[in-house]
Amino acid sequence: MQEDYLAKWLNNELSDAELLEFKKSDAYATYKKIRNTSARLKTPDFDTETAWEELNNKREEKHTKVITLSPFKGFLKVAAVVAVVFTGAYFYLNSQNETFTTQFAEHTDIVLPDSSEVTLNAESKISYNDKNWDNQRNISLNGEAYFKVEKGNTFTVNTNQGSVTVLGTEFNVVHRGDFFEVTCYEGLVSVIYDEKEYKLPAGNGLLAVKGKISKTKATLNGTPSWLQNESSFNSIPLKYVLAEFQRQHNIEVDSKGVNTDILFTGSFSNTDTNLALKSISIPLQIKFTLKGNNVQFYEENTAK
Amino acid sequence: MDNKQNVCEEMVYADIFKTNSKTIFNHIFYKYGNEEKAHDAVQEAFMKLWENCAKVPPLKAKSFLYTVANNLYLNVLKAEKVRLKYADKSLKNTNETPEFIMEENQFQEKLEAALNSLPKNQRVTFLMNRIDGLKYAEIAQLEQVSVKAIEKRMHLALKSLREKIDGI
Repeated sequence: MQEDYLAKWLNNELSDAELLEFKKSDAYATYKKIRNTSARLKTPDFDTETAWEELNNKREEKHTKVITLSPFKGFLKVAAVVAVVFTGAYFYLNSQNETFTTQFAEHTDIVLPDSSEVTLNAESKISYNDKNWDNQRNISLNGEAYFKVEKGNTFTVNTNQGSVTVLGTEFNVVHRGDFFEVTCYEGLVSVIYDEKEYKLPAGNGLLAVKGKISKTKATLNGTPSWLQNESSFNSIPLKYVLAEFQRQHNIEVDSKGVNTDILFTGSFSNTDTNLALKSISIPLQIKFTLKGNNVQFYEENTAK
Repeated sequence: MDNKQNVCEEMVYADIFKTNSKTIFNHIFYKYGNEEKAHDAVQEAFMKLWENCAKVPPLKAKSFLYTVANNLYLNVLKAEKVRLKYADKSLKNTNETPEFIMEENQFQEKLEAALNSLPKNQRVTFLMNRIDGLKYAEIAQLEQVSVKAIEKRMHLALKSLREKIDGI
């Protein structure tokens, strides 16, 4: 008997001899019955018409979906633009900072949202985010200011040269060009300058002139002298002193005739111009001529 | 079928549906014994064919449909008992004795039980031939195996059915 003869038999492919032999076997009767009975088997009803209609509905749905989606897509475009504009405006308005500036010979007192106080020295500028103040007490400063910080979150003063971080204290920050000075009068101040951190306890200061760092001392629990209308200096190059004089008195300084790198220690009045000029010139043994809004400094032995 | 014809043409598509929907339904039913899933498979397969009508040539449509239907429940659906009915006309209209009818019914029950105990591919192949009347070559093409393999399945299916029924 050939291989898979049962399959051949079912398909009427057996030879006469093979068929005869197969019919003689005991199993043949059952095989025959299986063949006959299985021919009468039926699957559950499948209604081709109903299935066709169902399929057509699905195809239609798929087709119409595409059409109805397009106007919605248009609406989405508009909605997306509106959303972008609104969020943009929200962030823009939120990032709008409060800004205060002072001119020459001018001081301003500012009370921050947490009732911390800032006093701005002449020709200075601070700005901070009013809306986000409760989360982040961040102030940017250009110029000089004295801070009296209420206890609370970290309070940070950012300048182009370095940043000052405190929790609650009193301190003074100067940032003018390549001149950077922080003086702590109360509490503890942390200064980040040139990626390095400096801790300043009360009565200490940090001075950086053209990147050169030195430590300074200040009166414990005092206030910067400029709050009392006096500018004080301790071994500061003359050019910064004269720049400060110009700011405080709004008088143009001509210092071509003197060496502005010599160091000056002392103070001058921010109110009395004549007194201030004498305070600067006498210790340095230089002369000055004041003409209206102009002052010229020159060496004593130079013929005028 | 003309090779230039396109499945996207409604006439061609409808024709393919008329010729194949029932056999696909049966095929999935033999496999899992689940009438509802077999219905879904037909819908799914023909939707896929419609979406890809431009890519499937009419001559490939049939095997495309079988492939989609077969892959649909691959490894996700557990086989249930395949419940089949009998076209009873031959019995009702005869003057057979009640004993004979009872014997017939008993045999049918045994056959059904035996069919359910067959390996899935043997059962599917056997029923495609017996119920749908597909030739071995046609089944071989759809199942993507050789005619020889289909003959082997048929042989083994018959052998085990007989052994089950005769209690060997």
